[in-house]
Amino acid sequence: MEDRKAAILAEIPRLRRYARALVRDRDAADDLVQDCLERALARMDNWRTGDNPRRWLFTIMHHLFVDQTRRTKRRGEVAMLNLDDSEALSVQADQSESVASREIVDALQAIGPERRAALVIVGVEGFSYAEAAAMLGIPAGTVMSRVARGREELRGLLDDMHRRRAIRVVER
Amino acid sequence: MTRRDFTERDIHMALDGEMPQDERDDFAAWLDANPEMKSRSSRFEADRERLRASLSDVLAEPVPERLTALVAGETPKATARAPRWRMAAAAALLLALGAGGGYFAGAARLGMGSETAEDLSEAAIAAHAVYAAEQRHAVEVGAGDRDHLLGWLSSRLGLTLVAPDLSSDGFELVGGRLLPAGHRSAAMLLYEDAKGSRLSIYVTPEGAAKSWGTYDEEQGDLRAIYWLDKGWGCAVVGTLAPEKLLELGRKAYRQMLAGAGMA
Repeated sequence: MEDRKAAILAEIPRLRRYARALVRDRDAADDLVQDCLERALARMDNWRTGDNPRRWLFTIMHHLFVDQTRRTKRRGEVAMLNLDDSEALSVQADQSESVASREIVDALQAIGPERRAALVIVGVEGFSYAEAAAMLGIPAGTVMSRVARGREELRGLLDDMHRRRAIRVVER
Repeated sequence: MTRRDFTERDIHMALDGEMPQDERDDFAAWLDANPEMKSRSSRFEADRERLRASLSDVLAEPVPERLTALVAGETPKATARAPRWRMAAAAALLLALGAGGGYFAGAARLGMGSETAEDLSEAAIAAHAVYAAEQRHAVEVGAGDRDHLLGWLSSRLGLTLVAPDLSSDGFELVGGRLLPAGHRSAAMLLYEDAKGSRLSIYVTPEGAAKSWGTYDEEQGDLRAIYWLDKGWGCAVVGTLAPEKLLELGRKAYRQMLAGAGMA
């Protein structure tokens, strides 16, 4: 049991990084990690000895996130989010973050949640298509499509940001 | 060794370490021979490194005590906590929708885009590019003959077409024209504001597809917001700022559905 707990503790930094990529805001991301840890601790029996704890934990967190985005979409809660909330969330970036780093993490948030997750799991966390497929519960070919489309989208968003910035400079 | 043809898919596979070892040399040679693909590959790689670097600061941060304490079993039970991340997830979704939900131009090159959405948007952008640039012959029937225009287009399309009122945003109907759309017909309604900026609405009967999104012209600054739903394909095209175009598009689409008795 203690070994298992130590293994889970060791994964927290990576879980926090994935959560931050999914929801951006620091406290909100840590809440997601906390939900994930609670669920993991309650289901320790589901973790077969010898299994990679990282994959197991990432899978749990991913499902928490996806369930929530689906529920949100269905209930139409998105439309009811008031402006104050969304603005507050989008500007809570850390002071220490550089502009470039804030920009790309913002762009990431504008990508659809499923593509965003695939892009981060493969591109940042370094899981293989097969591992990601198991974690996300989709075929490996779909992982690849989502990663590819996610990259295209990210590139488009970054280019858009630059164009908009260029326009602002011209107008000044 | 057989050389195979590589495609853009292989760029992603190579980046993600999914390309078999024995294909890598051929792939590198293919990249060298295709500067456009090579620059795309470098761009994706650079974006990935930037993303990794931007996200990885968190790894060096001290882990909040509430998380370590939880695993150590020092907090008996989760306290009632406002699920902040759920709100953030909702906000992110809002952003994703606001951004238009997809860059089909890019995705389509990979053979993964929605063909119907792509065809619709391409056709709407092409029509706008050709006719909105015309000063004297932009439309076949002018707004002065509004009833005739809408009656004619409606009967040719087999839809009940109304011309949305966009005057609160300064756009007035100039007129419209009938266009070929494969073996079917499409209608284009053209609007103009006081500064001469033009906006067009392209409508065609479509099948069962259901989606919406934005489509950017590959080269140029025209953007289409499209909807596929209820047997309609509708695209609003213009050069307005994305948020403004989206807002006008939504207004127009809502009025058109209402006018057709479908809202």
